[in-house]
Amino acid sequence: MVKYALFLGCLIPMRMPSVEIASRRVFERIGLESVDLKGYTCCPEPVFSRLIDETGQLVISARNLALAEELGLDIMTLCNGCYETLLETNETLKNKSDEMLRVNRILENYGKKYRGLIKVKHAIEVLYEDIGIEKIRECVTKPLKIRVAMHYGCHLYRDLSGDIMRKPRMMKEITSLTGVEIADYGLERLCCGYPSMQVDEEFSLTHRLLPKIKRMVEAGAEAVVLTCPACTIQFETGQVLLRKRGIQYEIPCINIMELLALSFGFSSRDIHLELHRGPILRLIKKVEGD
Amino acid sequence: MRAKKIIEYMRQELGPDVLVVSAPRDRRVFINIRAEALRKAVEALKRKYPALRFMTISTVDCGLHFEFLHHFHVDGVVITLRSVKPKEENLLESIADIVPAANFIEREIAELFGIKVMNHPKMRSLILTEDWAEDKRPLRKPLRGILPPQARRVAESLISMGCVAPISRFIERRREAAGLPKTPPFAFTDEENMKELHGIIKEVSLSEKVGFDWEKKRLRYR
Repeated sequence: MVKYALFLGCLIPMRMPSVEIASRRVFERIGLESVDLKGYTCCPEPVFSRLIDETGQLVISARNLALAEELGLDIMTLCNGCYETLLETNETLKNKSDEMLRVNRILENYGKKYRGLIKVKHAIEVLYEDIGIEKIRECVTKPLKIRVAMHYGCHLYRDLSGDIMRKPRMMKEITSLTGVEIADYGLERLCCGYPSMQVDEEFSLTHRLLPKIKRMVEAGAEAVVLTCPACTIQFETGQVLLRKRGIQYEIPCINIMELLALSFGFSSRDIHLELHRGPILRLIKKVEGD
Repeated sequence: MRAKKIIEYMRQELGPDVLVVSAPRDRRVFINIRAEALRKAVEALKRKYPALRFMTISTVDCGLHFEFLHHFHVDGVVITLRSVKPKEENLLESIADIVPAANFIEREIAELFGIKVMNHPKMRSLILTEDWAEDKRPLRKPLRGILPPQARRVAESLISMGCVAPISRFIERRREAAGLPKTPPFAFTDEENMKELHGIIKEVSLSEKVGFDWEKKRLRYR
């Protein structure tokens, strides 16, 4: 059985538990054993923490990696931001022995040590590479008849191989297994605006989020499929904020794990889709009928 | 050689009150000391070098703290005693009774930065008018750290809880209703893990850098 240490991150369990529930259901169904990483902390968050203190970011991140290493397992993340932080820390420590020494000198004061023995993978990679397309296809019992737009999220493009489309291609292929029709809208690579929201709300909403949503709707998308919780927050709350500016869009967001769970035959109640802040009911009606 | 001797002497006299020393040249010495040991340091210098000449005090408003640089000259060597005080304390101990020449510059610091100089022999205005507003000191900046307002809650949450999205009662209830544990297996659910995280944060000076108040569990300037 494929086995990974599951790094849940902050936003998924605290803000969108439906994604956690759906992921656990999907993992169980496809035969992926996920072991909870007890005592983990924020990855830490990839934007501010790095700017404030690089050593601090490395040590906190290495502590999380060390927890997985203690379990003898590679680490799997559901969140794009956590993926980037942990992946980059892992690569830095594996390739720079002086950084590894510096970080371990601090960790050793707390009985921890990171040896650089594990890999960091996004759940998309685990599904595609370790489980395989065929196994996922076998589990799809209720193909979904909806038209969706993909939003991969900027951090999913980070790749050690240099092929930035490697994981987005995987995500698209996995999504298509659920029976949905994928609407290409030409702005897939554009950032959703979540990071710029911290600095300039107007720019973030009108120059990042709005052009994307507009093109998605023009392409006939009935929902956005995402994997990043921060992007999900931006799409869901961003549409509410756009409404205050007189711009009305109501496109629901769905995480790829939730989409898989629905196509595996789980109901929206099973995975508590109602916990979404966006107009998810419309999508549920379309998928499950009244 | 002269610089080295001065450093050795100050280390001997002040012990752990000396934090960091450097002598980039033979005639230049920087000694970082605990703020509480300022008078002790000046007295020690005066005792050893009766010809000690007071040069000036530079004060820097660093946002979260004041940096005081007391410069002295002895036998061709310039010695700087560097001490730091949190801005909330807003205090500087006068050394004018030890080196009278410090009298005027201490008055200037008090006026321009609004810092209270303790035990000054004759504190009164020097440059500004007597009725100058207390809260509008020309060289004083607001209490402010390195984080922009948008990053402050994230940093507070990361440092105090080890998590950037604190859990609410609502989510706890919803998680339980959905058959999940009330909280995920986060470090904040275990005291030992939190001790470890806080130890790391203090060791890498992350909390100090952003100006985190451990007692109040919040930034000093939110």
